[in-house]
Amino acid sequence: MASLELRHVSKIYSTGDQQLAALRDVSLTCRPGVVTAFLGRSGCGKSTLLNLAGAMDFPTAGEVLIDGVSTTACTDAQLTTLRRGRIGFVFQFFQLLPTLTALENVELPLLLANTPAPRAIARERLQWVGLADRGSAYPHQLSGGQMQRVAVARALSQSPAILIADEPTGNLDTASGEQVLQLIRRAATEFGASVLMATHSLEAAAIADVRIHLRDGHIESHS
Amino acid sequence: MRHWLLLLRTLVLRPLRADPLRSALTVASIALGVGVVIAIELAGRAATGSFQNSLAAILGPTDLEIVANGGVDEKLMAALTALPLNARFAPVMEAVIQVEGLGYVTLYGIDTIASADTYVKTDAAATLDNCPQIALAKDLAERWGRHVKDRVRIFNRQFCVAQIVDARNGGFIGMDIAEAQRGLQRYGQLDHIDVTVDPSESLQAVENAVRRVLPAAYEITRPGARSRENQRMLRAFRWNLQVLSYVSLVVGAFLIYNTVAVSVVRRRAEIGILRALGAARQGIFWLFLGEALLLGLTGSLLGLLLGRLLASAMVQLISQTINALYTTSRPAAIEFTGPTAVLGLAAGLLAALVSAFGPAREAMQVAPTEAMSRGSREHRSRLAVRRHAFFALLAAVAAALVSQVPPIDGRPIGGYAATLLSIVATAFLAPLVVLRATAWLRRPLERVFGVGAFLGARSLAASLGRTSVVVAALATAIAMMFSMGVLVGSFRETVLVWLGQQLRADLYLRAAGPAATGAFPPLPAGIEAALRTLPQIDALDVFAAFDFRYGPDRATLGGADFDIIRRFGRMRLLPGQERDAILRSLPGHDNVLLSEPFANKHGLHRGDAIHLALGPRQVTMRVAGVYYEYSSERGFVIMDRGTLRKYLPDQPVTNIGIYLKPGLDQNQAQRAIETALSRFPVSIARNQQLRAGAVEIFDRTFAVTYAMELIAVIVAMLGAANSLLALVLDRRREIGVLRYLGASSSQIRNMILTEAGLLGLLAMLLGLALGLVLSVLLIYILNKQSFGWTIQFHPPYVVLAGALLLIWLVTVLAGLYPARVARRLNPIQVVHEE
Ligand SMILES: Nc1ncnc2c1ncn2[C@@H]1O[C@H](COP(=O)(O)OP(=O)(O)O)[C@@H](O)[C@H]1O
Ligand SMILES: [Mg+2]
Repeated sequence: MASLELRHVSKIYSTGDQQLAALRDVSLTCRPGVVTAFLGRSGCGKSTLLNLAGAMDFPTAGEVLIDGVSTTACTDAQLTTLRRGRIGFVFQFFQLLPTLTALENVELPLLLANTPAPRAIARERLQWVGLADRGSAYPHQLSGGQMQRVAVARALSQSPAILIADEPTGNLDTASGEQVLQLIRRAATEFGASVLMATHSLEAAAIADVRIHLRDGHIESHS
Repeated sequence: MRHWLLLLRTLVLRPLRADPLRSALTVASIALGVGVVIAIELAGRAATGSFQNSLAAILGPTDLEIVANGGVDEKLMAALTALPLNARFAPVMEAVIQVEGLGYVTLYGIDTIASADTYVKTDAAATLDNCPQIALAKDLAERWGRHVKDRVRIFNRQFCVAQIVDARNGGFIGMDIAEAQRGLQRYGQLDHIDVTVDPSESLQAVENAVRRVLPAAYEITRPGARSRENQRMLRAFRWNLQVLSYVSLVVGAFLIYNTVAVSVVRRRAEIGILRALGAARQGIFWLFLGEALLLGLTGSLLGLLLGRLLASAMVQLISQTINALYTTSRPAAIEFTGPTAVLGLAAGLLAALVSAFGPAREAMQVAPTEAMSRGSREHRSRLAVRRHAFFALLAAVAAALVSQVPPIDGRPIGGYAATLLSIVATAFLAPLVVLRATAWLRRPLERVFGVGAFLGARSLAASLGRTSVVVAALATAIAMMFSMGVLVGSFRETVLVWLGQQLRADLYLRAAGPAATGAFPPLPAGIEAALRTLPQIDALDVFAAFDFRYGPDRATLGGADFDIIRRFGRMRLLPGQERDAILRSLPGHDNVLLSEPFANKHGLHRGDAIHLALGPRQVTMRVAGVYYEYSSERGFVIMDRGTLRKYLPDQPVTNIGIYLKPGLDQNQAQRAIETALSRFPVSIARNQQLRAGAVEIFDRTFAVTYAMELIAVIVAMLGAANSLLALVLDRRREIGVLRYLGASSSQIRNMILTEAGLLGLLAMLLGLALGLVLSVLLIYILNKQSFGWTIQFHPPYVVLAGALLLIWLVTVLAGLYPARVARRLNPIQVVHEE
């Protein structure tokens, strides 16, 4: 069963009297356990596509179907439920909450979703990314690589069906980047998530099962 | 020069414009603060500034004034006019009277024949048949719709308007002195004799010559003395109001501090870059002071306008208070003068500068290329918590010490310094309280309100620096409100208890006319005798009071019947005095009782000698005791009626308390007495009426202070909304991330509202602690030193609890707008902003 499907999706930004098509007629399907990498130069529409796929934004034409339901048809509350249970996000700049410890950051989505035993799950995820001993550290006490691993643990806290990573290694050195990529790869195999990853780097593209090249908002090639 | 303008634009103007609501809130808080200061200044001056004598309008200018306690003997005129001096002596009667159906006015009785050149021009008016003439101030004539030749009913007789006088202060009637004496029943007495000296004569020579014919206890003063006395008497009152008016400004200053501190925190990276590009330290410092000045100036200018508007609303309230507590006055016109504007601007700008100094210095110390993250920044302020707590301790100790300083020139400077230091101590203690309390409350809050509360508590503690400033500002406003509430509540309770002891008689009698402080209209002659014949009457508590001078001050001198007072248990003495023995010692001796404010103001104690000018004589008496008295801030000196009669045989009775025979029906008895006295122009009030009236006056008196407290609280609310908004804007990326992580919009709202609620709660905790300290300072030091009253500590718990709850709710409400802003942030935009 396809957990995520884009059907003839277009996204047009109107700023003043200017119209900018960030995505044009994009169709694709992402399957559980598969890592899909989106490649292309800056401004080609990768982030836009990921936001649509993560139900954070809506297409101007076409449909985004998550578990067979169109995001455009969802109410705000349904979207929130969707994000809580089905989708995990990893960002280029980590986006950990500076006032919370690593463990609390991982726990946060569980708390927001009111999941039982959040602390135990958060510990488990931290252990899974190899940071069991850094749980009580605050973000500013961690290295960039460690922060991104905490972010991956946080994204996986709810065992989401879809993991979205927007340039997850864009801000990391090669070694830490490699560690994070391995975790993302394992997320697909061990959690069975459909992983959608936007990236510039060849190393990142290398771990993907499917590589999609975007150019000016449309799919240039599939490999 | 050009590059500083550029810097001003990038670092100050652009951010202010980018955040218009916050800039507006800051400006509004300063405007309110300055507005209150200006309003109190203007209204206070207008309410107290109306003592200028209007007499000059009908008598011409005066050089000297002859006065005496208990009135000047008319016979003195003969001796004075016989003096070989080139001077004119004008006898004057002066009183506040009621004109039927028209209201209260000042009456001047003058010698119309001797003053014919300045007074009534006897032309057309003179033809009026046998109708005594009056001169009417223009404002009254207009208000009453009277013209020359019209009639006015005064003292139960018709008078004819012979002239309308255009005088600056207005509000008076002039008539012949003989008519005035007859109407006031003060035959042979004058209130003062005004002396006009011919330019050819030396003023000093005239003064010396006059003094030689005056009895020892008579005084010769320069005109305006009365006005100066009044101003002096009102000084403490006005001063206290003025000091209170600065509270809002102090709260506003906290908010400017907050605004500039937020600017500095937000623009640290920019400052660092500018420094690296060669901007000088001093320049950065002045830029941020410039921001504060800009906010302060805008706020102050608006405040001037607001103050002028508020003043119109306040002048009536203040003048009612003055009439109730001090002396009869009519409010003058509000005059907005240059110095007042300067005062407002200076106050606003100074508040802005002082509060921006710290943040501006911090900006100056930013190292070039510094781009520290907020985490480490707030981490540093966490380390300073202990040092701040230490400063708090120092300030508290200093407050305790200076509170013991005796008043300076009658002003409780030490008390005010202690108040300010207590506020400073609270501000320094705030970070510790915020940190501890949020750590404590986080878990329970989370359990009740969920994850939003957990996050809110965290972020409050994380932005400790500015959270604590807002908490301190709110706490100051709450403490001020609380302590004023305790003061007023305690005072009210004290007065109620005192009224119960003081008002023992069933009925109270006084002349029909204005019940104004400092005015003692005499009861008609023969009324005492008429009363004593009535069968309903058990006893009469007869009192003869009049306004008198004691040194440079004015007070009330009274003759009372101490046997009756003793029998009915009226008058409560200060502790440690044997009431019965003291009251017994008054009849037949040159002994007096002093009211507590009088004794405190003049440093007199039981057993001391007191020198009083009584009529022509200077008399030394002994202070037999001091009694509680709260009816007015004017002091009272009370002697036995027999003693008073010995020195001033003609002082009329002014008040009579009637004790009815036990077991009589009150209503019937009152009606019988009223019928018996129907031919006398008197007013009879029941005990309960008098009490209710006193309480009403009391409540009105404190209306102004309530208004000011309210404004301080509003300013603090604006601050709470302002800084919550800043917290939201600064954390917008985090809020966006929360949305990505599955936070619902109600969770976001809860988070901000929890922050608002916590902010309010912490402010309340601190405010209560500070409020208790301030109430003690207010009741036992500030009040005691400025007014001399002993107030028992009686906090009005229910009212205070209600007010606090209300403030807390409003603080939470102040979080609604920031919460809305937070909910409406576009997560995609804010997360990808970097
Ligand atoms: N909110 C927006 N408003 C207008 N244009 C936008 C907005 N977000 C993105 N764009 C534009 O859409 C295009 C695609 O952007 P984005 O998806 O961020 O590209 P990428 O992530 O591949 O660099 C860019 O030209 C960008 O400028
Ligand atoms: Mg992108």
